[in-house]
Amino acid sequence: MVFVTGIGIISAIGKNVSETLSSLLEGRTGIGKINHLQTIHKDNYVASEVNYSLQELENLAGLKNSNYNRTTLLSLLATQEALTSAGIKSISAHRTGFISASSVGGMCHSELLYKDFLEHKSHENFIDTHYTGAHATDVAKHFGITDYITTISTACSSAANAIMLGARLINNNILDRVVVGGSDALCKFTFNGFNTLMILDKEWCKPFDDNRKGLNLGEGAAYLVLESERVVKAENKKTLAILSGYGNANDAYHQTASSPDGQGAYAAIQKALEIANLSPNKIDYVNAHGTGTANNDSSEAAAMQNIFKENMPLFSSTKAFTGHALAAAASIEAVITILSIQHKIIFPNLNCVSPMQDTILFPVTSLQKNVEINHALSNSFGFGGNCSSLIFSKN
Amino acid sequence: MTIYINGTGCISHQNTIDADAFFENREIDCLPLLVAQEPDYKGYVPANMLRRMSHIIKMGVAAAKISLQQAELENVDAIITGTGLGCFEDTTKFLKTLIENNEQLLTPTSFIQSTHNTVAGQIALLIKCHNYNFTYTQQGMSFESALVDAMMFLNENKNSNILVGGLDEAIQPYYDLLAKAGHIKKQEDVITEIEKNKTHGFCLGEGASFFVLSNQKNKTTKAQIKGLKTFTFIKGADDLQNKLTTFLRGIDLSINDLNLVLSGNSGDAEDDTILNESNRQLFSKIDIVYFKPLCGEYFTASAFALWLASAIIEKQKVPKVLIQGHSNKKDLKTILIVNQYRNTEYSFMCVSSC
Repeated sequence: MVFVTGIGIISAIGKNVSETLSSLLEGRTGIGKINHLQTIHKDNYVASEVNYSLQELENLAGLKNSNYNRTTLLSLLATQEALTSAGIKSISAHRTGFISASSVGGMCHSELLYKDFLEHKSHENFIDTHYTGAHATDVAKHFGITDYITTISTACSSAANAIMLGARLINNNILDRVVVGGSDALCKFTFNGFNTLMILDKEWCKPFDDNRKGLNLGEGAAYLVLESERVVKAENKKTLAILSGYGNANDAYHQTASSPDGQGAYAAIQKALEIANLSPNKIDYVNAHGTGTANNDSSEAAAMQNIFKENMPLFSSTKAFTGHALAAAASIEAVITILSIQHKIIFPNLNCVSPMQDTILFPVTSLQKNVEINHALSNSFGFGGNCSSLIFSKN
Repeated sequence: MTIYINGTGCISHQNTIDADAFFENREIDCLPLLVAQEPDYKGYVPANMLRRMSHIIKMGVAAAKISLQQAELENVDAIITGTGLGCFEDTTKFLKTLIENNEQLLTPTSFIQSTHNTVAGQIALLIKCHNYNFTYTQQGMSFESALVDAMMFLNENKNSNILVGGLDEAIQPYYDLLAKAGHIKKQEDVITEIEKNKTHGFCLGEGASFFVLSNQKNKTTKAQIKGLKTFTFIKGADDLQNKLTTFLRGIDLSINDLNLVLSGNSGDAEDDTILNESNRQLFSKIDIVYFKPLCGEYFTASAFALWLASAIIEKQKVPKVLIQGHSNKKDLKTILIVNQYRNTEYSFMCVSSC
């Protein structure tokens, strides 16, 4: 069995777990005016930015002249909180790994310097920090983690795969504990990319609403500390949840679009249920991928309907709080799902008013307290057909 | 646990497509950029898909198809790729247009294909594979990360065939960025005997190497992977030697069991120091050959090395270009690959006949 013993998060709704929880309880979204990203579109769109400059993030991390980019600093801050929350004092006491996820890594920095490079003006070396895996090496080194370091980049499902991999590394007796999650900083590259696909809503996104117009981009980082049953028992550790199931599948339908019936999503959820050895009716809550695009929400609803049939559990997408933080989205939502289990609260799917015409499913739209959640499912899907689902269970 | 290599496909600076051409009549190309020799992709990818594909996607999809053909398979239980740089051609294309057009009049194609998982996704799409699909990117450990996952997958799922690949592209903007950062070896410093380099920098290469791995041996089996171990941050030559001997002991081998060592010297004198020292100490009686003069240095060059080791075992022959004078060994049963990338990521892979 694999236990979650620590969590750490930084996103537009807070720089740590307690701020995140307050925002969720108070229904305070992080989506708003663009302040930090220097894009020509900043006055026409909203986004979900971490409300600190690069310098402020460095100060928060207690660093000086680190040369770390935004992705690395976000990763470092969330990892710091996760390790503290797990009460880990000695990294070398057990075989410890760091598994991160990112879509564009150092692009937030490279894109600012690339123009000068093209014009032969720049002499700054930014290629060494551009690599998507570079932040993982730096953050692991910062905390002295050496036993296994890698990064997963499967677009918007990346962090779910990092969490899954961590569990498998423990189950295969390669590691005793592992910090897993993802980090992505908002950048012009991604912003313009999604804009060309015409799937950005200029106002607050409306996941699972019939009039949804697209997603809002976000940024942030979140990490979990996973530990083996052996370590948890030996150290008599407090645990937050059990990572009981995980599934990965490919939609193999289109490079970016999801299939209408959500075949990949269905297979990922099915596999996660098999690993957890649970029947669908045991799931009490689903934290949906729910980006707010016409395509994702229809496809995901179809997959959920096929899995759960008449027993559809309560579900919500929390992306109207955090925006879509791409490779970090799944770990941000894993932390939120664990908070739901711990506090017996289902956080609402904001901005959803009109039921979708192509499904009977309708999300939870107001805060639900005292909901006993024994098993919760979290979905994440991405470009390239990548679909992943995780199941977190109460201790 | 034994893992069988049941099919391989490799696109590299060498002619690695033609199974019979094993670098006969080849000499080392002393160039700072070693680009891939590409096949006619029409034989591997439908023309309508080919048109939109960037360089790395074509290399990856073709290498994957070749390995599937060799293993006589249409589909697999998992697709796992590793790439250090990802789809850089599409990334720079989108970025350049974004900068030049000041964020206006952009088209989505290059953005869509810029994500690291594009190749794994395209392979899944091409062969209609709905199964496990993963992409790793961890600089010089990207391919090894895919292989660690593959070994776990085969441990978790009996009777499985999976496709694993390591791939990176060396397009001009990347070469220019590396040169500007001072990582590329000057043309006048490039020498054939890579281990004797006293200068800075490496020669950039590229390629895609794919493998069909299985826990089942069959008539297409070429070799087996006996073990894999990765390390980030090595403390010195002593540390590397200790880790190597522990690794070999863990797979019930001693140094004397090795018939050949494929060493991943990059040609950068400083980065190779620990590796050279460790090789000198441990392998004084074993033949060492250096594979990067054939393929160049890149994040997933170790995947080329695994392809080479598998081919050497299958053909029972070390290519002449690699042996540089010393005798061609017979009875090639066990090969050790020791790789380093920028003296940060190290890996050991042991391949043997079966």
